[in-house]
Amino acid sequence: MKRYECLRAIAPQFGDELVVTNLGAVRHEWQSLRPHHGNYHLQNLGLTSSMALGLALALPHRKVVAFDGDGSLLLNLGSLATIANQHPKNLIHIVFDNECYESSRGAPTATAGSADLAAVARGCGIVNVATAKTVAEFTETFTRALKASDLYFILAKVEPGAGDVPAAALDSQENKYLFVRYIEKSENVKILTSTLSRASEPASK
Amino acid sequence: MKREVAAEIVESLKEAGVDFVATLTEANLHDLVMALGEDKAIHHVPVTREEEGIGVCAGAYLGGKKPAMVMMNAGFLLSTNALATVCIHPGIPVLLLIGHSGGVGEENAGHATVGALTEPVLQAIHIVYEKVGRFEEIRSTIRDSQMLARSSRRPTAIVLNKQALR
Repeated sequence: MKRYECLRAIAPQFGDELVVTNLGAVRHEWQSLRPHHGNYHLQNLGLTSSMALGLALALPHRKVVAFDGDGSLLLNLGSLATIANQHPKNLIHIVFDNECYESSRGAPTATAGSADLAAVARGCGIVNVATAKTVAEFTETFTRALKASDLYFILAKVEPGAGDVPAAALDSQENKYLFVRYIEKSENVKILTSTLSRASEPASK
Repeated sequence: MKREVAAEIVESLKEAGVDFVATLTEANLHDLVMALGEDKAIHHVPVTREEEGIGVCAGAYLGGKKPAMVMMNAGFLLSTNALATVCIHPGIPVLLLIGHSGGVGEENAGHATVGALTEPVLQAIHIVYEKVGRFEEIRSTIRDSQMLARSSRRPTAIVLNKQALR
């Protein structure tokens, strides 16, 4: 199976869920399938799981879904231990494992050898861990995770290859402002500070 | 770090609005990390590597928290790519409390290089920082650094030297 097929299969299930995407083609695929201000496209390889953890802890009543990759998670394996210990019940951590650094021309990652990221997740203490090898398995597991009120780690074993989608117009500053404004509105909170004009203050005598 | 210094830092963070702290401990930060873990008003996330904490703090900010990261300067050096790509590039504020080993008075030879590199690297990545060495500077520096982080949408740093830590 391909990552794009997995994303396409689950996209109709998304409502107001918050999404953090990894660096690479996944951001363009997801933005094309589900253009939404609740998507945050990270410009860093490695910290997708950590960003999603922080977001999930800040908003425990909102479902947070991370679209991570094997190369990224291998940079930040310790985040699985932190996620397990924090145990956010609203986080679904999905890793699309294509066993290579596809965006960097395809050299193999450690999962092409002996490493099993699902076993690492289990070893760190995450209980709901699944490995999906078909789109049907993936969709069934994701649907269960979305309905559940618990932390899930889903390893999707995929073939390399990106979906035939246009490059998304993703600017990091714009993405941040749109995401933060969306959170401010949907959560009725204030995140961005604003400065009052001095003109509104009475002049001192 | 003395317990009263740790307590002053925790109270100052809360007064400045900080409600979410990621930490990676060290001998000099131990009392602060333990005090943060006990405080009910602050969500404490002990991380396994400092750059992980930068990601966690940035995610918490996007969800409406006011985050800070507590680490030693070795961890700050490790975090420079995370700070550049996750915080500075999109414009996400995180208050950094950095314990400074390897400065004047350091007896451990292994820390001297890290100590000498800390301020130049902060300057190189354009993070505004203040150095704190005295108890009475803690509260106002935390308040003001947090103010600048929030208004500028950038990380700011407080470098805690050995006098402040002991």
